[in-house]
Order: sequence, then C-alpha cells, then structure tokens
Amino acid sequence: MNVRLPRAATAAIAASLLLGATQQALADDYDLQREVMAGGCANCHGTDGARAGNVPPLAGRDADYLEERLLAFKRNEVADTTIMNRIAKGFSDDELASLAEHFANVEQE
Amino acid sequence: MSVNSKPFQSRLGVSRRQVLKGLGAASSLPLIGGFAAPAFATGSDGRVVVIGGGFGGATAAKYLKRANPNLSVTLVEPARTFYTCPFSNLFLGGLREMSKIAHGYDELRDRYGVEVVHTMAQDIDPDGHSVSLANGDTLHYDKLVLSPGIDIRWNALEGYDEAAAELAPHAWKAGPQTELLKRQIEDMDDGGTFVLVAPENPFRCPPGPYERASMVAHYLAQHKPSSKVLILDAKDNFSKQGLFTGGWEQLYGDSIEWVGLSGDGRVTRVDAENLEVETEFGTVHRADVLNVVPPQKAGWIAERAGVTDASGWVPVKPESFESQQVADIYVVGDASVAAPMPKSGFCANAQAKVAAAAIVAALRGDSTPEPYWSNTCYSLIGPEYGISVAGVYRIQDGVIAEVEGSGGLSPSDASAEIRQMEAEYAVGWYNAICQDTWGTEA
Ligand SMILES: Cc1cc2nc3c(=O)[nH]c(=O)nc-3n(C[C@H](O)[C@H](O)[C@H](O)COP(=O)(O)OP(=O)(O)OC[C@H]3O[C@@H](n4cnc5c(N)ncnc54)[C@H](O)[C@@H]3O)c2cc1C
Ligand code: HEC
Repeated sequence: MNVRLPRAATAAIAASLLLGATQQALADDYDLQREVMAGGCANCHGTDGARAGNVPPLAGRDADYLEERLLAFKRNEVADTTIMNRIAKGFSDDELASLAEHFANVEQE
Repeated sequence: MSVNSKPFQSRLGVSRRQVLKGLGAASSLPLIGGFAAPAFATGSDGRVVVIGGGFGGATAAKYLKRANPNLSVTLVEPARTFYTCPFSNLFLGGLREMSKIAHGYDELRDRYGVEVVHTMAQDIDPDGHSVSLANGDTLHYDKLVLSPGIDIRWNALEGYDEAAAELAPHAWKAGPQTELLKRQIEDMDDGGTFVLVAPENPFRCPPGPYERASMVAHYLAQHKPSSKVLILDAKDNFSKQGLFTGGWEQLYGDSIEWVGLSGDGRVTRVDAENLEVETEFGTVHRADVLNVVPPQKAGWIAERAGVTDASGWVPVKPESFESQQVADIYVVGDASVAAPMPKSGFCANAQAKVAAAAIVAALRGDSTPEPYWSNTCYSLIGPEYGISVAGVYRIQDGVIAEVEGSGGLSPSDASAEIRQMEAEYAVGWYNAICQDTWGTEA
C-alpha cells in the first residue's frame, strides 16, 4: 500500500479522490443500528451473511423468502431445523422483517 | 466445506477491497505537497486502540473500520498466528490439525486498513489516554478496546503454578499447552486414566471441559480402548449436562466418569510431579495424564487499566461494554462480566460488535445504538454427534437478559440425523466465525 512519489502520485491522487467519495458514501450507507441487530447472524452465515458453506448464505436473497423462512422458524413450522427455531424466537416479527430486508440488500458479486 | 473468499460488495457495487486500496492511497496524501489531506483520510474521525487480537479484539478492529473507515484503528497483539481454543479439543481428539485452528492478521491489515502491531501492551494510562508497548512505543487513543481474554490464577489451586502447568497442562489457551497435552495423551499406555480437573463458575467456555473429555474419550476409544477418563468437578451442575451424559453413555459406555462437588469431586491440591490430586475430603486420585482447568481471571492488562473489580473480572455498562470504572475503555470477551452471556468466542465477537458500534456513535456524537447479542456454543461429543446451547440477549431493566422463549438446548430426544447435522453445522459455525473475525479460512 505504500505509494511512492512521484511516479504513482498522479494515479494515486486521482484514484483516492474518486474512491474516497465512494468510501464516504459507503460509510453513510452503513446503518449502524441494523448492523448491530444483524451482527450475531454473521457468526454462522459469515460477514454480511455472504458465506456459502453448509450454513446457507443470506446475502442478496429475496427479502420475502427470507422473512417467510424466519417467521416459519419462529413458529416451529420447519421440521428439520437444528438451530434457527431457537434463534428466531429472540426477535419480534418486525425485527425479523427488518433482518430479511437487510440481508436481501447486501449485493453479491 | 466449500471455500468462499469472495470479497464483500456494497450496495453500490464497489467491493471493500477496492475501497481500501483507495484508502491506502488516500492515507499517503498528507505526504504530497500542495494537496491538503481530504476529509476521508484515515484517522480523521478519531483514534481507537484495540488490545488483543483474539475473538473480541479482531472483531472489534474489523467492525470499527467497516462502520467508519475514517477512524484510525491500531490492533496490538503479540502473536502473528492466533490459535483458537474453539476446535482445539478436536485436535486433541485427532479430528483436526493445529494448522486448521491457526489464523493471521493479513485481512485486517490489507483489506480493512487496521494497523496491526505485533507486540505486548505493557501499561495503560487512563488519564493520559495512552498505552505503552513492549517495543518501547506509546499509542494515544480517544477510545480503547480491551479484549485480553483470561489469565490463570496461579496458586489459587494449591500446587498449581506455572511450573506445574508444564507437567499437568491446562491447555486453556490454545498453542504449546495444547500440543503438550496431545503428546501426553499419545504417550499414555493403554489402560491409563486421563484425569480432568474442572473449575467453579465463572470460567472460559462452560461446556469446554466436557467437550474435551468427549474428544479425549474418542481418541482413546480408537487407540487405547482400555483407558478411562475421570472428571473431577468443583460444581454439581454443568453446561448441557444431560446432553453430555446421554451422549457419553451412548458413545463411550462407562469409560467417562464424572464426579461432582457433592460426590467429593472438588480438587483442593495438585501434585503435578506425581500426577496426583487431592479432593476436599482427602481422596487422592492418581492420573496417567493430568489436565487441570484452573481458576481464572481477566487478562492482566485489565488490572493495569484499573478496570477490574474484586472478582478479578471487569464490570461493564451493558449498552456499550464501556468499563463502569474508567471512561473511554471498553472491555469485551472473557475479561468482561456479561452474565447471563457465557464466556465464549461467539459472545466475544457479539460484544465486540456492540462496543464497536457504540464507539463509532460516540465519536460522532450520536446516541448508542440499541444492543443485540446472541450466542451459540456447539460441542462435539463424537465426530458425528453434535449438541448446542443458544441464547439471544437484550437489555431488560438495565441488565443483560436472555429474551424469553429464545435459545435453549438441542432436544434431548433428537435423532441421530439431527446430531450429525449439528456436528456438521458446528464446522460451518467455526468456519463462519473465523471468517467474520479474522477473514481467514483455516
Ligand atoms: C477448550 C476450549 C474450547 C472452546 N470452545 C469454544 C467454542 O466451541 N465456541 C466458543 O464460542 N467459544 C469456545 N471457547 C471459548 C473461547 O476460546 C473464548 O471465549 C474466546 O477466546 C474469548 O475471546 P477473547 O477475545 O476474550 O480472548 P482471546 O480469544 O483469548 O484473545 C485474547 C488475546 O489478547 C492477547 N493479549 C492478552 N494480553 C495482551 C496484552 N497485554 N497486549 C496485547 N495482547 C494481549 C492474547 O495474546 C490473545 O491473543 C473455548 C475455549 C476453550 C478453552
Ligand atoms: C448458530 C448458527 C446460526 C446463527 C447464529 C444464525 N443462523 Fe441462520 N441458519 C443456521 C443454520 C444451521 C440454518 C439451517 C436451518 C437450521 O438447521 O436451523 C440456518 C438457516 C437460516 C435461514 C434459512 C435459509 C434458507 O436457505 O432457507 C435464514 C433465513 C436464516 N438462517 C437467517 C438467520 C438470521 C437472520 C440470523 C441472525 C438473527 C441467523 N440466521 C443466525 C445457523 C445459524
């Protein structure tokens, strides 16, 4: 990351000004309250729910589908659940809808 | 396990990796004559120092930078490679290599722009808002995060000091101690007894001793089938007790024996040289391998900061995990008093996110976001036999409380399929939390 003058300087300055603006937008886009609510999900679904392992990913999936699943876990309507039934019961229906919305809005590559 | 190393992408379609490349360039801008440092240059929104690069500290550093890339965040951690206690029991059981519980700091540095300093924090001056390091440097902070984990209370259990731990390892911090214990188990003759001494509450990882007993029993069943595991416990009840004892019976018959407090299980003296322990009422047990999980306290740097109380742990304000005793010092993970949350890696990670958000908000002059925490502790009884305990926590009446109806144990009557799924999800959890904490796949 060490940019040395003068050769890389012009490019670096241009890039940093451009990306700097994007970065500011990113920080503004970061909803601290919702991130805190969703924080625990990352421990099994990966950062931003984006990890594709045997635990299913959440990032970028349909919000209605995610919400429906979360409500079903909470109401004991999923037969082969191992853990989500116990976790979903820790949130109100509105909070589950908000979580679904949050993960649906994480863009996947 | 499938490996996923896709960089995170924001809603704007720009990956954070690209953004941080930009940040690296931006941070060099002040060197360039004629250009003023732009508002987004790193560090302009405040200085945060994080001490400890384990579950709590590494998570705090990452989530501070995610929420506000303009903070300067310095992580102080002596180790270049961190070995996780989670899954170190699987190493003892022969299910995993040490290299598969090892994590580094490249992603925090390269992708998130955290400055990582590999040295020990030696002292803290809360009035001067500074930290002195073993390498001679001094760091100044606006906010300080401590996640130093535990230290052993040497000699709190008679005869158990640092020298004794070289003969009768605790292996309650992963690394050389874990490898020493593994060698001892491998060198034990068939027919020998592995004795595990379990402490009173509170201690790091409430189900940990019982998962360890399970994994050692698994190894012994395969390699030294006439051997036994004896647990001498200072308590009458332990985490997931019914699930553990049910699983032991099913997988290991009577080769694991547990003796609780009222059965004279509380060990009061350790003779590491002779591998003997004495209990409260004078029974002497001889071990072939002796594993002592000793009494514990917050990592010593917490004492230097003046944040511990008489219990040896750190009382914190629940909404932010800021110390109740010293302003601008936030303490997360095992060192903190956060009951009913257990001292787990999962909780350390969850608390770090709450503290990071509180710090970001405070430095902006915003109010503290409402906290949410959760926890799940998976334990493996056998390679295909997993169990768990979960909890979701909020603040109620000013203290941390489990949300009613949430969490709880795996069902006691679960099918073999469910036990197997939980064993597989335990691995999924391990991979995910390590990705979330260090960004690495062991
Ligand atoms: C056998 C075993 C099994 C476990 N299994 C699980 C499990 O399955 N799931 C789970 O969630 N939890 C598990 N745990 C618990 C988990 O390991 C801890 O709860 C977790 O590590 C706590 O995180 P922490 O950040 O508080 O401390 P740590 O992760 O221990 O990190 C502390 C770091 O601080 C550093 N440090 C200390 N002092 C200083 C200083 N002065 N200067 C600089 N750096 C310093 C240390 O080097 C260390 O790297 C287990 C524990 C054990 C012992
Ligand atoms: C302890 C690990 C763990 C945590 C924490 C966790 N999950 Fe899950 N999640 C799982 C597992 C395992 C499954 C598969 C279903 C099951 O076994 O319960 C799953 C399934 C899901 C599904 C269904 C996905 C699909 O493809 O149908 C959704 C939605 C979900 N989780 C959302 C969440 C949200 C939101 C959170 C945070 C509030 C969260 N999870 C926290 C482990 C976890």
